[in-house]
Amino acid sequence: MNPACPMLEVKGLAKRFPPRSGQALSPWVLADLSFHVAEQEFLTMVGPSGAGKSTLLNIIAQVDGASAGEIFFRGKVIETANGAALQPGWNCQIGYVTQDDNLLPWRTLYENVTLPLKLQGRFDAAGKARVDELLGATNLTGFERYYPHEMSGGMRKRAALIRTLAYDPPIILMDEPFGAVDAQTRTQLQQDLLRLWYRGGKTIVFVTHDIGEAIALGDRVLVLSKSPAKVIAAHKIDIKRPRDLGNVYRLEGFGDMFEAVRRDIQ
Amino acid sequence: MNARGIVDRIIVLVLVIAGWELCSLYFGTIWFSSPLRVFNRFGAEIRSGDLFFQASYTLRAALYGSLLGGIPAALLPFALRRHPIAGAILDPYFVGGYGAPKLALAPLFILWFGVDLEPKVALVASIVSFLVFFSTTAGVNAVNAQYVSVARVFGASERDIARHIVWPGAIPYAFAGFRVAAPYAIGAAVVGELISSNRGLGFMIQSGATDFDTTLMFVSLVTLTVIVVVVNYLIGRCERWLLRWRPPTQRLTSRVVGT
Repeated sequence: MNPACPMLEVKGLAKRFPPRSGQALSPWVLADLSFHVAEQEFLTMVGPSGAGKSTLLNIIAQVDGASAGEIFFRGKVIETANGAALQPGWNCQIGYVTQDDNLLPWRTLYENVTLPLKLQGRFDAAGKARVDELLGATNLTGFERYYPHEMSGGMRKRAALIRTLAYDPPIILMDEPFGAVDAQTRTQLQQDLLRLWYRGGKTIVFVTHDIGEAIALGDRVLVLSKSPAKVIAAHKIDIKRPRDLGNVYRLEGFGDMFEAVRRDIQ
Repeated sequence: MNARGIVDRIIVLVLVIAGWELCSLYFGTIWFSSPLRVFNRFGAEIRSGDLFFQASYTLRAALYGSLLGGIPAALLPFALRRHPIAGAILDPYFVGGYGAPKLALAPLFILWFGVDLEPKVALVASIVSFLVFFSTTAGVNAVNAQYVSVARVFGASERDIARHIVWPGAIPYAFAGFRVAAPYAIGAAVVGELISSNRGLGFMIQSGATDFDTTLMFVSLVTLTVIVVVVNYLIGRCERWLLRWRPPTQRLTSRVVGT
């Protein structure tokens, strides 16, 4: 592993969806978008709603294809716009926590969390121990047999998060994962996420439209423009860790950083 | 159901029986038999074992036909999901087959398969298969695309997706198909027997009609109704157990007796 080589690099990425029948070409959603993420970095991205943030993560996760550009994983090209078949999750190396929790309603919490391990044939003693440990770390122990409809919004979000952590992909993409929960639950979820990330070993690309969240969580904040999205600014966040997320506005340097990012977005 | 509701239901039952009794008094028992005669004959037919024999014949035709027609029909949509072109080619034929009046096929099946169980099984299968097929197809098409794409990110193969995402999501729909099909299945078995048979509840109705034995006809009809209600109840129980993962308000189950 070459330390000078970024974990993930996106170069000149562009995307337009196929035109609807009878219409001219559809507009670009992403245009010449480039950025990189270092090993074990917590990168956050903010941008206005509808900027194409989800489209960007879909392309990195190879759920969707690019129209132009390349993506490198530890220096190796993993995706180009040459029309080759997509490999969603790229051999389980790229985790993806989506906006909706997407827990399968017919599987219990435990069956949901262990599904990726089972699909990958890795549901062994080590996998089980890891799942139990993550359930404990997110206060989900004791709810293993609950079905998703019996769980609160926050529990479902935590379950979706540890479902991806359980199979241990080195990089995790997160698309506004804490969107539809109340403010207190959201702070709790952010704390949980940071605590799990402090253990090390994980690179995170976290997309949000909430400037405060982006600054509170990230090592670096990238600002995306309105559609077609490209990176228009980058800010290194020097607020020292661990950060008290219950009181982000009191964190030293938070106010200035918030102002700077807000100006870039407009 | 509270006590009041149960009392109201009993009142309706009493009114229906009283109306029946009035009809038989006014028109004569030769046309309407009477509740008491039917009740007594019902007991007699049970004691002689005849009712059980005839009912089990009809039930067997309905059950075999439902399995023979329903199981392939519940599996076919999964195969067609992987072969959308074949699905598009066949679609109008399925729609046509669904629209065709299958009961009109009964004489043909009797010509082909004789007068035993086989033509009734074929008739039931031809009806059940279309109902289950269209219902299951709706379930397969309703699969949540997000679940599929998330599962792919987790490393799921196409087979995993069919097994872990599409199949569990389509089960409620397949069940709804079987539930709708159950009364038709029993009805089709009876129609087959009415046309040509020497056994079954349909035969019982037919022989009652030839002998002007309306009591026997009513005994068969009541038995058929009870069977349909019980079968519906059993399917409902089975469904509720299989779909215990659903929030109660989301259940697909239509309001059918016994659920």
